Amino acid sequence: MTSLRPQAQRSPLTLLRVWIGFQPNQGLRTVITYLLMGVLAVSTVGPFIIMLSVSLTQNIRFLLFPIDLIPNPITLENFQLLFARTLALRWTYNSFYVAAVSTLGGVFTSTMAGYAFARGDFIGRNVLFYMFVGILIMPETALIIPQYIMLSDLGLVNSYTALIGPWFASIFGTFLMRQQFLSIPRDYDDAARIDGANIFDTWLRVLMPQLIPAMVTLGILRFMGNWNSFLYPLIVTTKAEMRTLPVGLGTVARSGGDAGLDMAGAVLGFVPTFVVFLLGQRYIIQGVSLSGLKG
Amino acid sequence: MSSATLPPAVQRRALTKRILKSLPWYPFIVINLVVFVVFNLWPWLSMFQTATFKTDLLSHREFIGLDNFVKMAGDELLHLALKNTFLFALLYVPPLVVVSLLVAILVNQRLRGMKFFRSVYFLPNVTNIAVLALVFRRFLSPRDDAPFNYLLGLVGIPAQRFLLDIHQALASIAGLGVWQSFGFFMVIWLAALQAIPQPLYDAGRVDGAYGWRLHRHVTIPLLRPTAAFVVVITTIGALQEFGAIFILTGGGPVNATTTAVYHIYSQAFNFTRFGYASALSILLFLIILIIAYVQNRYLKFDEEVY
Repeated sequence: MTSLRPQAQRSPLTLLRVWIGFQPNQGLRTVITYLLMGVLAVSTVGPFIIMLSVSLTQNIRFLLFPIDLIPNPITLENFQLLFARTLALRWTYNSFYVAAVSTLGGVFTSTMAGYAFARGDFIGRNVLFYMFVGILIMPETALIIPQYIMLSDLGLVNSYTALIGPWFASIFGTFLMRQQFLSIPRDYDDAARIDGANIFDTWLRVLMPQLIPAMVTLGILRFMGNWNSFLYPLIVTTKAEMRTLPVGLGTVARSGGDAGLDMAGAVLGFVPTFVVFLLGQRYIIQGVSLSGLKG
Repeated sequence: MSSATLPPAVQRRALTKRILKSLPWYPFIVINLVVFVVFNLWPWLSMFQTATFKTDLLSHREFIGLDNFVKMAGDELLHLALKNTFLFALLYVPPLVVVSLLVAILVNQRLRGMKFFRSVYFLPNVTNIAVLALVFRRFLSPRDDAPFNYLLGLVGIPAQRFLLDIHQALASIAGLGVWQSFGFFMVIWLAALQAIPQPLYDAGRVDGAYGWRLHRHVTIPLLRPTAAFVVVITTIGALQEFGAIFILTGGGPVNATTTAVYHIYSQAFNFTRFGYASALSILLFLIILIIAYVQNRYLKFDEEVY
């Protein structure tokens, strides 16, 4: 144990010691790193590949190993069944509609309020700012019951208003955009004012065009957050046709059907966020590391 | 200011001027304000009122004072739910914090294809819990030839019952949670790692430190604020876990996965006890607040970092 002879033997213990760093050996370290990362990548992606493969398999009641990763024959039967037996199409529409309106609305209102908090000098600004901070700290699950009671009093359960409402403004987004506006020198505002622009024009024409990347980042984060939200849409919808896709798929999972049907549902719920992730991953990872906060 | 010494007319004019200057800004915040009042402030305040009632929201509504809070003392399912909630946090937070940090260190090396691996690890995090539940319900099936049991069988471990076993269900859901979220926290750790000045590492190498030793003496001390942040955020998340439990176990088997949030949900929507559920929400709110506060104090969460 005490004699540190580099590369004398390739026992697992030596490999571990090299990697941990008791023995400097960059080449071996790289190999081990790739090995670990490869295993982790397989465990991360594997379930999704199996999901896709099972969803395309004919007549599959249980998911049992070993399976053929490329089904023979490849069939869309499970998807046909899913759309025939459940309201999956309607849920997909609901999710897209709610996520689109929520995202656009949330980004728009965040950009407006962020501007006001960054540049505005109005009565009550600090009080409102700290009120928003206070709301941001509150755990959302503790608010679910009173939110439901309020929506039920207003007769808004099972409405798009209820599904979209809380997403139409974002405190996180407001803070993010405020930060972005603060990063733009005030010289732009002054120049615009000299040219006769009012605060609205300054916001829309002078400052906002510079913040498109930040708005895209916020938009993607909001879209993901809204699409993936579960508890809130579960609570404010009781009718099957008003459910969002995740909530609807939750009922599919609990009903205990075929593995093929389950996986077809999973693929349907997976693809939209996957596509957005592929297109916007740079923005997502930037947004996460910039803010360190979700949704 | 010395406004008291000014004549009233001047004072009034100054105030008018201030109001006129303020007015154009309000349209910018009015939508935010309305949304927060309607969906946050009002529900939040009304929660304290509802908590003093016994109500099913339909016909029955009876003022009972603090009885809902008294009832908590004798609610054994609540005690179990709180125990499960803390147990879940213990099963979820430490593995998540450690795994995400280790993976971040792994992918922070200057090697080919790192961006690809980072994206791959982030994937479960952008996938919604219903999809993951649909997939993992099949993976965690108790049959011998279901995926996880098959893999266990390959290394000679007998088949497990996972979600159907009262001792494994909560841990299985925690495991799913760690698998889902490690990519997210990996990105946060990465941001912190990359903010560490390279010369510190060079100095460490000159002193003969490699790999783990380098991390032990350079990386870890500098990551403390991030560590505090990650611990607080993951704990708050763990205390509010719901989706996977709702879909995969429905609080079972034999209430083994009934957590605080699930108990609140169940009291409200399975038993229509909305007054009691409101009182429980206040309790949950206080618990999360206190734990987050204590962690902040104890871990010296440094706000400057983010």
